[in-house]
Amino acid sequence: MTAAPPAATYRPARGARRRTVTLVAVAALPPLLSLAGPLIAPHRLGTPVTSPFATPGDGAVLGGDLLGRDVLSRVLHGGTPLILGALLVATVTTAAATLTGSLAVLRPRVGRAVERAADVAILLPPLLGIMLIALAWPGGGRWAVIAAAVVLGTPYAVRVVAASAAPLATAGWVEAALGRGESTAYIALREILPNLRATVLTLFGLRFVEAVYVISMAGFLQIGPQPPASDWSLMVRENAPGVLLNPWAVIAPGLAIALLAVTVNLVTLSLAPDTTAKAVHRA
Amino acid sequence: MGVTRRQLLRAGTGVSAAGLLAACGGGSDGSGATAGSGGADRPRTGGTLRVGALGHGSAITRDPHGTQANESDYLILALVFDTLTVPGAAKNTAPRLAASWESSQDLRTWTFRIAEGAVFHDGTPVTAEDVVWSLQRLRRTPSGAARLPGIQVGNISARDDGTVVVVSDYANADFPLMTRFSSFVLKKGTSDADIARAPGTGPFTLDWFRGGNARLVRNDRWYGPAVHLDAIEVTMFETPQAMANALLAGQIDLASNAGAVAARTARSRADVQVLRRPDDMAMPIVMRTAADSPFADRRVREAIRLVVDREAMVKQVLSGYGTVANDILGTGDPRYAKDIPQRGRDLVRARKLLRDAGFDLSRTYELVTTEDISGLAESATLFADQAREAGIKVEVVKQESGAFWDRTWKSGDFYTSYWGTNDSVVFFASKTMVSEAGQNEAAWHDTGFDAAYREVIGSDDPKRRAAALTALQRIEHDRSGYLLWGMADGIDLAASKVRNLPKLPGYGRVQLEGVWLR
Amino acid sequence: MTPTAATRRAPAPAAGTAHRITATALRIAGVVARRALLLVVLLAVVFAAVELLPGDAADAASERGESAADLAARRHLLGLDRPLWERFADWMTALPAGDLGTSAQGQKVTDLLADPLPNTLVLAASAFVITVVSSLLLGCWAASKPGGRGDRIVSHLSTAAFAVPEFVVSVSLLLVLSLWTGWLPAATVTGGDGRPATWTMLIMPVLALAVPQTGWNTRVVRGALADQASAPHVEAAHLDGLPPHVVLLRHQLPGAVPAVATGLATSTGLLFGGAVVVETLFNYPGVGSVLAGAVAARDTPLIAGVVMSAGAVISAVLLAADLVRHATLGARA
Repeated sequence: MTAAPPAATYRPARGARRRTVTLVAVAALPPLLSLAGPLIAPHRLGTPVTSPFATPGDGAVLGGDLLGRDVLSRVLHGGTPLILGALLVATVTTAAATLTGSLAVLRPRVGRAVERAADVAILLPPLLGIMLIALAWPGGGRWAVIAAAVVLGTPYAVRVVAASAAPLATAGWVEAALGRGESTAYIALREILPNLRATVLTLFGLRFVEAVYVISMAGFLQIGPQPPASDWSLMVRENAPGVLLNPWAVIAPGLAIALLAVTVNLVTLSLAPDTTAKAVHRA
Repeated sequence: MGVTRRQLLRAGTGVSAAGLLAACGGGSDGSGATAGSGGADRPRTGGTLRVGALGHGSAITRDPHGTQANESDYLILALVFDTLTVPGAAKNTAPRLAASWESSQDLRTWTFRIAEGAVFHDGTPVTAEDVVWSLQRLRRTPSGAARLPGIQVGNISARDDGTVVVVSDYANADFPLMTRFSSFVLKKGTSDADIARAPGTGPFTLDWFRGGNARLVRNDRWYGPAVHLDAIEVTMFETPQAMANALLAGQIDLASNAGAVAARTARSRADVQVLRRPDDMAMPIVMRTAADSPFADRRVREAIRLVVDREAMVKQVLSGYGTVANDILGTGDPRYAKDIPQRGRDLVRARKLLRDAGFDLSRTYELVTTEDISGLAESATLFADQAREAGIKVEVVKQESGAFWDRTWKSGDFYTSYWGTNDSVVFFASKTMVSEAGQNEAAWHDTGFDAAYREVIGSDDPKRRAAALTALQRIEHDRSGYLLWGMADGIDLAASKVRNLPKLPGYGRVQLEGVWLR
Repeated sequence: MTPTAATRRAPAPAAGTAHRITATALRIAGVVARRALLLVVLLAVVFAAVELLPGDAADAASERGESAADLAARRHLLGLDRPLWERFADWMTALPAGDLGTSAQGQKVTDLLADPLPNTLVLAASAFVITVVSSLLLGCWAASKPGGRGDRIVSHLSTAAFAVPEFVVSVSLLLVLSLWTGWLPAATVTGGDGRPATWTMLIMPVLALAVPQTGWNTRVVRGALADQASAPHVEAAHLDGLPPHVVLLRHQLPGAVPAVATGLATSTGLLFGGAVVVETLFNYPGVGSVLAGAVAARDTPLIAGVVMSAGAVISAVLLAADLVRHATLGARA
């Protein structure tokens, strides 16, 4: 469908260190939050400490939620599953897309199948697809959403990788390898994949942002995490009726999601040169 | 009784609020706006009432005998069509299209007399033939057997133009109670294609219906008491939250069944009245009593009932908008046993009972719940936390509604249920607790209870009947599979100008024909 | 028209015009047929997916006291006892006549969607127009001084906007613009014509949908313009001494159209997804809220009807994008 321009396959050396720093930062964020959050939470998660939707005060810094549980403690706990889930989706999707995409440029039949799958997938609004898949697997909880996000996200991701890999397939060294009679797998893994690093990194970042969006939307529609789990999107949903009684019960988790998404997005963009990001965006 | 899963979810049928454990419930805690009004004011005729009611665009149904999953649809139907009887205040069954009824000696043959002057909206008088046809149509629907229990299609007949005779397969002293919700009367021979435009006999006629929303105008020919409103506009809301927001923003005048949180939000508003209808909803925890269940031992069930902190449940789950209950279902029944001592929290005794029964405290027990109604999943969550204090590990598992009803209901060891019909102890005994009950949620078999139940329904001596009913409630309190920690109030929000709003719980809330605007 | 721009247009030879028209028609027909086929495949997938859901519509519409026999009767009434492929075939063959089947509650699906679909189209189209206008304005403004302060601000803001889920935007809008200030109606009330009673009820839902999409598309516009900045004809225009804004609008922008069109087409699906959440929150009478209920009630014909409508609209938009791209690329060739 999209004739994406060839991605930058080489990088200037000066970007390397900044990239490493940001990579470390993005890698450190989830474990930091998931470790530190629950440690500094002042109250037990399930025990009411105040009246339902109580305003801040009485030892509950951000007030009470719908059962009078401590909002702050639940916000501190509620990011871990979202972050880990998004990380998993981004990793699996990117890995699957990279392998399939590298193969697709060498095997036109695979490439066509991927194109058709992506064409159908684009007609199904992502959220609708998630609803269907998650409901078909009612006991699946988070795993259903994660599976759905991977299944629905992969065709696009493959298309991105394939677009970036297409010019490589005709590159001299690949043709040379073909001429040597190397296997498809060998060429895909040893000749094409290493040259897709920039695309793959950017893709990973964007898939992570996308996964945060999808998982939190699903959580808001109560697909995936279920009460009494503490989860940011679930908190926004279950506390929304009391938004006038204690706005913090909604604002705090909403802000947390927004900040996570924005942070990851900025990190992603700083990871890759503009052209790669653009290519990944557009496809 | 036609208790539908989703239809009756928030509904309760029921009698007056009087005589509950209700130390804290009852009445309206609305703003000062109600002061100086009420009975003293003369009703004013005119005006349009804008009502919000819950419903989903996907579940719209126009058939009065269909499954009304939407409260909004039911509200509209109940104002356009009449049932034979309706929930009442003094007695739990009040006349509507049936002006009176009587039974034969053996309580099997029931005779209903149609109200004088009842006409359809197109002017044709209501005949017994119309009523017979409508009841037969109702009986033929897939849920007909549940809605008109013990009645065969052939046993519904007209005696003369104004009298309908219904013969039950068995003695049924409560049959008129069964005609309160779905015995809507249509003209004989109305085709399914015309159902949406079919004339009713109710206090309002349908001006328009579109996408779940409707406008109804006063039917000046109604045979009932004077109707004051010119029109009622019904708006369907997907969520109670959007409905409450609309009321607070002045977009509607009445938010029907808005919930406790909305009530608390509105409490500070002088221009909004909060109406509480006690005994609206029961949310019991069910413990399966069968031999392979961890709750088979009655001492374990007793212990679980001693573990729950009822006051905390009412305060945290219902925001205080409810009353503490005593593990007996049917709290709205005038014959509810108020003298049975209230069970309280006693962790020491609970621990001893669990020890004596050899209850495995190392295991984690799953408490399955769903989110059909607000507060249900929350009650499970809070109970799990309270059980932890007694050393019982309870994990709450929330299932999607469909999965819950397919897989857990009636077969799970430990789950939450809910009932919107709470005005009859015998109803719950017959439907959910006697050994052969079709909806025996806890798979409970208790010979003592069964004997007491047969005494209640088989006895024509009022004294023996009353004694048996008390015995039945005592057994239920002592050893049934239910933990009933409290009863939620039904809560409506209304603009201060709205007067004479319905006070009955459950379906009583659709009785808007008496409302007027100041 | 400047000479540089003119050279981009391939001169149309007088001979072979008829042949080219036929070829174009064939190509367009091919594109349309491909889109229709994809839609059918999607519907088959959805039908199968719904079949996998636990329970069925007969269950969902049943009442608590119903026996197994009652349930079987209801299932038969709804035709659920017939094989899946047969129901799918029935549904597909009735489709050309505008018949979308009957919902689990016994209502005609076309009736259930007759009002919600136009309402959602109005909502989505308004959000789409706002998205197009604001992302073009912001993107062009940012591209007018690459690397400047405006460019950086737009870049950060658009990133933030597209990363934030619609429900966070919705709840924030609701709180600020209605519940705290009372400026806008908090919920949508529908009138007798099936439309929102006042246009002010549309403002918040439209904004909630448009903000994330504007974020996304602003990035696409900005990127596509940057891409064009290094194109030879643009550099030539700069060398000709044309003012920067003229170069931007008349030389960079036209070249960026295919990329922008594709980005906007992708937004359509996201708008429909967002509508499910936004419509429920604002009580907006659209297909999104119908769908949310239909999925919960496992109402296959209704879900299929919504997916079909959404898929058709998305297909139409994608088709338009295809044609724009074909036209542009064709001209370039």
